Amino acid sequence: MHNSASAGPPAKPRVGSSQVSEASLKRKRGVFQKDLQHMMYGFGDDPNPLPETVSLVEDIVVEYITDMVHKAQNIASKRGRLLTEDFLYLVRKDPPKLHRCTELLSMHEELKLARKAFDVNEETLATAD
Amino acid sequence: MEAPPPPQPAASAEQPAPAAASSQPPEPTQTPSPSPSPSPAPDPAQPPPVSAPPPPSAAPSAAQNPPQLQPQSLPPSQSQPPPPQQQSQPQQPIQQPRPPLVRNRPPAPFPHFSNHLPSSAPPSSSASASASSAAPAPSPSPSAASQRGGLAIGVPAHSSHLPRAQQPVATYSSIGASPAFNQPFTPLPRMTEQSSAANAQVRQPIQGIQNIGMIGSLSTTTQIRPGGVTGPPQQRLVQPTSRAASPSTNQTLGSQKFPNSGLIRGPSMVSSGSISSVPQQSLVSSQGKQMPASSSSFRPQAKPNVLQQRPHSLQQTQQPPSAASHQQQIPTSQQQQQQKQQQFQMQLQQQQQQPQFHQQHSSPRQTQEYYNQQNLQLRNQPQLLQQQPARPLGPATTKPNPPTLVHTNVAQPAVTHPVVGTDAAESGDHILGKRSLRELVSQIDPSEKLDSEVEDVLVEIAEDFVESVATFACSLAKHRKSTTLEAKDILLHVERNWNMMLPGYGGDEIKCYKKQFTNDIHKERLAVIKKSMAATGDTANPKNASGGPAAASSKSHAQKAPPIGSPKA
Repeated sequence: MHNSASAGPPAKPRVGSSQVSEASLKRKRGVFQKDLQHMMYGFGDDPNPLPETVSLVEDIVVEYITDMVHKAQNIASKRGRLLTEDFLYLVRKDPPKLHRCTELLSMHEELKLARKAFDVNEETLATAD
Repeated sequence: MEAPPPPQPAASAEQPAPAAASSQPPEPTQTPSPSPSPSPAPDPAQPPPVSAPPPPSAAPSAAQNPPQLQPQSLPPSQSQPPPPQQQSQPQQPIQQPRPPLVRNRPPAPFPHFSNHLPSSAPPSSSASASASSAAPAPSPSPSAASQRGGLAIGVPAHSSHLPRAQQPVATYSSIGASPAFNQPFTPLPRMTEQSSAANAQVRQPIQGIQNIGMIGSLSTTTQIRPGGVTGPPQQRLVQPTSRAASPSTNQTLGSQKFPNSGLIRGPSMVSSGSISSVPQQSLVSSQGKQMPASSSSFRPQAKPNVLQQRPHSLQQTQQPPSAASHQQQIPTSQQQQQQKQQQFQMQLQQQQQQPQFHQQHSSPRQTQEYYNQQNLQLRNQPQLLQQQPARPLGPATTKPNPPTLVHTNVAQPAVTHPVVGTDAAESGDHILGKRSLRELVSQIDPSEKLDSEVEDVLVEIAEDFVESVATFACSLAKHRKSTTLEAKDILLHVERNWNMMLPGYGGDEIKCYKKQFTNDIHKERLAVIKKSMAATGDTANPKNASGGPAAASSKSHAQKAPPIGSPKA
């Protein structure tokens, strides 16, 4: 659930790593390159967009996620740990985004239930057999 | 040799000059002058100390002294040659060579002057035995001269010295003896007549020091005047300009404009001299080829005159009426003044220039030059400083752009090249051109049209924005202990102060998150509140459903204090 709202940021330096300072100085490039190309094609771009365009969009995405996480952390620090509700709170003023977020979260829950039911079915079938 | 001693005594003489009555003969002025600066008088070998005091006082006194000194020097020179010489010898043997130079008062760099003086000194040195003393002086005098030249290209110091230096007679004698000075001295009679008038006119502008930006005009005029410059090498900067103008015009161009232009130029030259004493020297060196060795001393003075008069001469050829050139000359000086003020008056100037651009044919070039200058001033102040020295050299290389505009258009930028274009092209020199502005507007709304005033304001806003951002980014780079302005400096400033996100230039840097700092006490209190709320919530929910929230909040508040005292489970 926590991952649905924020696509895991591998670019962020690993907390606790001794190389945090080094990692913070350099940010990995092309983290979302492959996924972004498909997404851009889905939104109307060329099937093979320019690498500069992809890197620019990736910069925009990373900057947006970073800003969101910082704000969420500021809010969540009063309560304790970071929760999904913090991110929903941040996009509360943007109806499309908020709706999309809630839709994704609900779908995630349904899929989880479906998987669970599938496993249960598998087990019952296995036990039945 | 003569030059160094005269500058020193002149510098010292300048200080007392203002105090001394204008009508006093050179002798009395000499005595006070040596007193303030005893070092030069007793020791010609001590020019450095002398130069120190004179420079500070040179500026204010230079302006005042020249006008006073010349009228004084001329009449007394004839009547009192021997006494000044006697006094000079014991006090300031260095000053003896001065008198010959007094006449010609070229406002120019002392090195040239000193170089030239030794050549002419021999004839005049016969009158005074300061030839030997003059030898050591040359080195210090140029330095002193250059120091004093801050305000007026060093010449006023000379002039002030010479009259005080007391040997007006020696000047005349030297005049006859040295063929080199023939040209310079010829205009003397005329100059003496006009000196008073010129002084009166020149004084105010010089004192105002408002013509700092007139270097450009000076540079343009200096080139024209090779003949005129050579004429009065030793005269004061202010006066020589007027003089040089008059004799040169009579000699070379034969037009009557120059006397007027010379008068106008005088103040500008003085101011420009103050600003660019170094460039003047460079000018002098460049013009050395043009002028004979005898006139080399006049170069510093001549240059500004020539530069100033050059556009006028061009104008004269183009426009026979002298009145037109007159008006043009005045605008030039005004324009130069405004150049300095451009940074503060950019708005006004832009608005004024635009309507004028369309009016005059030469406006495109002028406006462009003006824009170039503005841009240079805007973007790089160091470039601006470089521009000023370059301006005097400009006329040597370019273009005849007579300042036809009456307003603050700078018609004679040395560095800019003439680019004829429409107002869009001119504005292209700016950060945002009118054409590109219209294109931006068309991107927003194809049918949208902006008023000219609106476009001007937007252009101005854009320029101010760029300037402010660049300035702050430079300070950030400096804070970073770096001499290079990088993208991250601008990004930080724009992001923080203008709230503008600019993706694509961030590089590989990750934004660090600063965890919110919370006090321990604050955390304690928050924990207590949570506990109390949870406790009241459990107990109050089944009992007080409606008043739950209010009761819980009130209970939480009430329980806040007690729990601190007695922790509740």
